[in-house]
Amino acid sequence: MSLFGRAALLLAFAAALYAVCAALWSRRPGQQRFMVSAERAVYGVAGVTTVAVVTMWTALVTDQFNIADVAGYSSRSLGTNYKITALWGSQAGSLLLWAWLLSLAAALVVATNRRRNRELLPVVIAVLMGIAVFFTSVLSFITSPFATLSPVPLDGRGLNPLLQNVYMQSHPPLLYIGYVGLAVPFAFAIAALVTRRLDTAWITSVRRWTILSWMFLGVGIILGSRWAYEELGWGGYWAWDPVENAALMPWLVATAFLHSVMVQERRGMLKIWNMVLVTLTFTLALFGTFLTRSGILSSVHAFGESTLGPYFLGLIVVVLVGAFALLITRLPLLRSQSSLESYVSREAVFLYNNLLLVGLAFAVFWGTIFPVLSEAVRGDKITVGQGFFDQVAGPIGLALLFLTGVGPLIPWRKASGAELRRRFGVPVIVALIVVIPALMVSSDGGHWWAAAALVLAAFTLTAIAGEFWRGMKARHQLDGVSWPGAVGQLFVRNRRRYGGYIVHVGIVLVIVGIACQGAFSSQGDLALAKGQQGTVSGYTFVNEGGTRARDDHKMSVGAALGVYDGPDRIATLNPGVDVFLAQMQRSSEVAIDSTPFRDVYVVLVGLTPDGVARISVFINPMMMWIWVGGLIIALGALVAVWPSRRSRAPATIAPGADGAAQA
Amino acid sequence: MIYALIAILSVALVALIAWPLVSGRAPTDPDVAAQALRAAEDDLLRSLDAIREIDMDHRAGNLSDADFAELDREERARAVELMHRRDALRDEGPAS
Repeated sequence: MSLFGRAALLLAFAAALYAVCAALWSRRPGQQRFMVSAERAVYGVAGVTTVAVVTMWTALVTDQFNIADVAGYSSRSLGTNYKITALWGSQAGSLLLWAWLLSLAAALVVATNRRRNRELLPVVIAVLMGIAVFFTSVLSFITSPFATLSPVPLDGRGLNPLLQNVYMQSHPPLLYIGYVGLAVPFAFAIAALVTRRLDTAWITSVRRWTILSWMFLGVGIILGSRWAYEELGWGGYWAWDPVENAALMPWLVATAFLHSVMVQERRGMLKIWNMVLVTLTFTLALFGTFLTRSGILSSVHAFGESTLGPYFLGLIVVVLVGAFALLITRLPLLRSQSSLESYVSREAVFLYNNLLLVGLAFAVFWGTIFPVLSEAVRGDKITVGQGFFDQVAGPIGLALLFLTGVGPLIPWRKASGAELRRRFGVPVIVALIVVIPALMVSSDGGHWWAAAALVLAAFTLTAIAGEFWRGMKARHQLDGVSWPGAVGQLFVRNRRRYGGYIVHVGIVLVIVGIACQGAFSSQGDLALAKGQQGTVSGYTFVNEGGTRARDDHKMSVGAALGVYDGPDRIATLNPGVDVFLAQMQRSSEVAIDSTPFRDVYVVLVGLTPDGVARISVFINPMMMWIWVGGLIIALGALVAVWPSRRSRAPATIAPGADGAAQA
Repeated sequence: MIYALIAILSVALVALIAWPLVSGRAPTDPDVAAQALRAAEDDLLRSLDAIREIDMDHRAGNLSDADFAELDREERARAVELMHRRDALRDEGPAS
């Protein structure tokens, strides 16, 4: 089985290398058959990489402990669902997942571009398969997931207990789909530069890819946060860990790209900037993969020491140098078709949003990489604490929230004072109404920024509601449809715009959740004998008894806690601790009672032989809205990319503003 | 057994990739006319979407009357030009 898997990967490497050469050769006159062959090679790479993945899954499910990754990350007692997800528990396995998803994405690109973008496609294939060559060569010659062990152990070491969680089953694949998906816009950008087809066609061709990749990356980040919240047992969900940052950086830059492409499409501006953003986005996706595998930074999410760092660094350098060298040679072709007419215009707001997002990404990059730089330059590893990130991300996040509300209110090109007064009136009034209660709830801790977040959230949500209202009114007048029908028409006719507004609602909710949890959460520790009660932040906890259990897999202790809000019993929580025998590793089983207003989050620190439960209690306000916001972001992104039923029937143009242009 | 499977996989992959090169059939030349027509139709649909969006922006108050008139005129002129181009390409030959 090991040999078969290795052979499949070697075949994938050879086919990918051939696809690069054949695709580039096909650009010569009369060599079209090589393009057909290159396209088939892409399908071939997807096929044999799938064979390698299925082989690995078979090895995991059938306990083939002669394969090092199976012995290292699975065991006989592990459930089949976790055996499947153990594929990405190991370094080599996770790279195999990367290569597989990339090959599937490349095959999908070829399949969906059989009749379009034919001039771009040879270069697109060359870029995507070039990346596949890198990953399949690493998997074939440097770190194989099919490496074997001798002697063969009777049982495996099992999967890290921290990874035995439903969110960890989906978080890595979703992140990888995001990372891999971002390779597609990059490949199209390079193809546009190489072929000099630098109009907006390449951008419209990759719009769905970019939005979906951005969505998968975002949902992956949210699920990773949820995993940290439930599994790590420290009451929080985000610690500015280097690997968390590594996923956030490409997401931030991709967000900037999604906004700036609209300026290019509408005004023919920011063409160079968009090329820079798409290159940076993909480079940061590679950088994230590099960080988790280089061993240069320690993280709960990283794979530890490895020799892969230099290879990934080499790929990043090649991508950056190659893309920017190409960009420089094409600068004359990337001149803007118009210029910024006013600093108070929609395009200017997009520009500010871009600067803030890229600035935040740079700050996160700097804070992440600083320990490495300080060690290289001064010999001391100076760790950048959470305070640095909070201080930078807080104000920038608020400014972005403000722009999220302002953007839709400001017209393209320029805005008159009268227009601004008319458009800003209602959102500003609503925001002012929220100022006093926001200041009241935040005054005791001096958390002015949380109050600001609540005020700006009210402003932005009102602005979005206003956009929906004006859109409905316009549709009602234009199409003569009912008001409910007008809502449907908004989404049918302009999914991208209104899907985008739904995404903005999700972003607002996430920021509200983050701000409230950061500002208003409280924590307390209790030691309760059986029947004894204690209080944290107004909630009373009663120890109703402990439990102890043991099976072949783990030892468990738990405590049953009655939770009261005043005289009312609101929940029974059962926090516990598992000790997994194979690894002798401890894992907290956190108990959470969630409502839209707060989470009661309880961690069992220990249970003494005489039944005293030592617990840590966290009261986290508005936590639910982070997860709900994430769901709404995903929903909005899906609305934005959902295909429209555009007819290919002969198109006509209705009379216009001057009634002249008809066809 | 494993070696046989590897051989089958290798032969299948080589056959898949090499067939267009050795089949002796002339490769499917890109239908330049069909591609140009499709590109023109795509451009036209994008242009029509832009006209609708400009109209929505104006009705929703995102564009002043003067800006709307200018943008609308420009985009409609572009759409008419694209329609002429599409019609000319259709007249040149049957599109697949």
